[in-house]
Amino acid sequence: MKKRVLSILTAALLLLPTLAALSGCGGKNAEIVLKVYSWEEYIDDGGEGSYQNDIEGLDKEDAHYIIDDFETWYEETYGVSIHVDYATFGTNEDMYNEIVLGNEYDLLCPSDYMIMKLAAEDLIVPYDESFFDESDPNNYYVRNVSPYIKNIFESGTVSITKDGQPEQHSWSEYAAGYMWGTTGFVYNPDYVDIADLDELGWKAFTSDKYTNKITAKDNVRDTYFAALGVTYQDELLALAENKEESYNQTLTEIFNRTAPEYTDVVGNTLLSMKDNIYGFETDTGKQDMVSGKIWLNYAWSGDAVYALDEAEEKNDLMLEYYVPQAGSNLWFDGWVLTKGIEERGTKQAAEAFVNFMSMPESAKRNSYYIGYTSVIAGEENEMLEFLRDDLEYGEEEGEPEDFYDLSWFFGTDAHVYADEEQRTRRQLYAQFPPQDVIERCAVMNYFNADTSERINELWTHVKAEDLDAWAIAVLCVAAAVIVLFVLYLKFGNKIDFFRKKPKKGYELVDQKPVRYESRNA
Amino acid sequence: MKLPRFSRKTLCIPYAVFLIFFVIIPMLVILVYAFTDRSMHFSFGNFVKFFSDPTKLSTIAYSIVIALITTAACLLIAYPVAYILARSKMKKKYVVLMLFVLPMWINFVLRVNAIRELFNWIGLLGETNYFNTVFGMVYDFLPFMILPLYTTLMKIDPALYEASADLGGNGFTAFTRVTLPLSLPGVMSGVTMVFLPSMTNYVVSDMLGNSMVTIIGKFIYEYFGTDWHMGSMVALILLIVVFVSTWLTGGFSSEENVRGANL
Repeated sequence: MKKRVLSILTAALLLLPTLAALSGCGGKNAEIVLKVYSWEEYIDDGGEGSYQNDIEGLDKEDAHYIIDDFETWYEETYGVSIHVDYATFGTNEDMYNEIVLGNEYDLLCPSDYMIMKLAAEDLIVPYDESFFDESDPNNYYVRNVSPYIKNIFESGTVSITKDGQPEQHSWSEYAAGYMWGTTGFVYNPDYVDIADLDELGWKAFTSDKYTNKITAKDNVRDTYFAALGVTYQDELLALAENKEESYNQTLTEIFNRTAPEYTDVVGNTLLSMKDNIYGFETDTGKQDMVSGKIWLNYAWSGDAVYALDEAEEKNDLMLEYYVPQAGSNLWFDGWVLTKGIEERGTKQAAEAFVNFMSMPESAKRNSYYIGYTSVIAGEENEMLEFLRDDLEYGEEEGEPEDFYDLSWFFGTDAHVYADEEQRTRRQLYAQFPPQDVIERCAVMNYFNADTSERINELWTHVKAEDLDAWAIAVLCVAAAVIVLFVLYLKFGNKIDFFRKKPKKGYELVDQKPVRYESRNA
Repeated sequence: MKLPRFSRKTLCIPYAVFLIFFVIIPMLVILVYAFTDRSMHFSFGNFVKFFSDPTKLSTIAYSIVIALITTAACLLIAYPVAYILARSKMKKKYVVLMLFVLPMWINFVLRVNAIRELFNWIGLLGETNYFNTVFGMVYDFLPFMILPLYTTLMKIDPALYEASADLGGNGFTAFTRVTLPLSLPGVMSGVTMVFLPSMTNYVVSDMLGNSMVTIIGKFIYEYFGTDWHMGSMVALILLIVVFVSTWLTGGFSSEENVRGANL
């Protein structure tokens, strides 16, 4: 009996970890648990080099995790205790898979195209109307967001099929911005002459000047975008030459060419790019720039700022950033509310979270820590002071030739005075590009299922090395021969097609006919 | 109180549960995904697509070739080392063995990064992508070859060498007629442990080959970002390749020697 109990206990004990893992972990004793799912390293976690640490002069131990501050603020403002479950993802696709698999998060922070995809697939819900009420002092998002970003979100549309009827909805219904930026080249001026690069533009990818010295991104969307730039550069430049009213619209169409007649051409461009580049990278580009192994790195503006900072601080190397004349990618990440959030009763909390992150103070902290540009301008243009004082990119007063206009972003008259480097190729240019750069940037839409499949096939075709048909045939034959040979070694002695039946009175022992008698003898 | 009959078999339940949830069900899920299309209808589409696409077949071929070269190189390096260590009367031979195995205890990504820097310094990074990949894999998987070889070689009874000498065999004969056949289980075990991961370890090919070398593991990874069905099909086909090669090299044989050689 004792033994039996023991074995049950042991069995139960061994099962315990599984059960614990299955049951998951609940929040703390808070009334509301808000589940947020965002990018890795995309928020001020109060670590070394945080805003509070560097600018406010707090000790490292005293700098706050911004989520903790939100929890405190929420309880003070709304009188309800809250706990935020903050989880992170590495790619939009990872996040999408998690959502489709039925993981219940309340608030997500995907990129532009993924927001459109989630909206089109009815996986996210619109914000409440009260969220856009500017008279509510707690609605920090609408009060502080840059008019430029606001306009982009309002004019961008996504087609959503409801009850069999396609409806056009604006992005702003579904998403509140968080960070935004451009893509371009980080280059090393020791090796790359900016005049050369400016002339080549996107064609730097295929130019023999930079053979083996330039990297592309190891993901299909970014590199496809670059390949569109390479392929249609002349058309894009002609378009920029005689700027018409619909310039940005036409440009956006070109950077969204995914129909089969275009993908064939772009596919060939991708192949010639592959022959010329140093490699595809996801995060080794920065270190390879610093080590001087490569001269040009196709990068997102936020990563570019990070690379520029790092190279300057650690290696005394002045890298620079450049956006091709022909146009480039405008991207943004935004907060979206997942379907079922009303039923879970967390919608108000999620909106409050977005509002908290949209306070100029929070925007400064996040932006300072991660290097990306916040969508927030500030009611009193607080982010301008952030630029001038905290990031030290410019001054309020200065020489007339150093004037750098940022009114397009802030809506009202806004400017800094900065030196030529900052204005044209350093961090300021990367974080807050001048208006002419913005005008030539386009958002890349999401690929629908069929397009996505076609472009992914193209991508694997580009990435992998194709063997000739005869080589495949030879390898198949070789494989078959090896398999047959091994099979023969293994079973050859058991298969004998020419084996004669043993005579009567004999049986086979070790493949040899043996007389019964001799065996029995 | 009457408990149902429990025996030592009851202790198997947790393992059975584990195997069902973490081995059998996932396999079935892969199988289901591999043979369905986006609307979850049964389809051979992915299968047909795989075998009619030269890119995918080429990638399989490249992966196998890379894995074969890696395995051969590992074997050529590891066998002499294991042989010398096993036969030597050195007192501190464990130290030498340890030195070969030591890198295994250092984080994998760190090691690959270190090699990357080394190649950068020599100037091979970005120049010889395939060589770099194979080198990285050989470096990473060498301990997996040395250990089983060393274990099997250690277990060979020295009396057998004496017997071989008594019967007039010279050193070479002793090696080909005694050592080699008796160490085959170790070889097979090592080959299995090196060949399979080197077909899928795309971290090495990405880091050292600058993502210019695509092996089958990378394919699976990329497909799982966008198309689970094709990804599952590639995974399934890889599984079959692995299964066949393991079976051919005798990985499923239940001989005592083989078991002893496995880590």
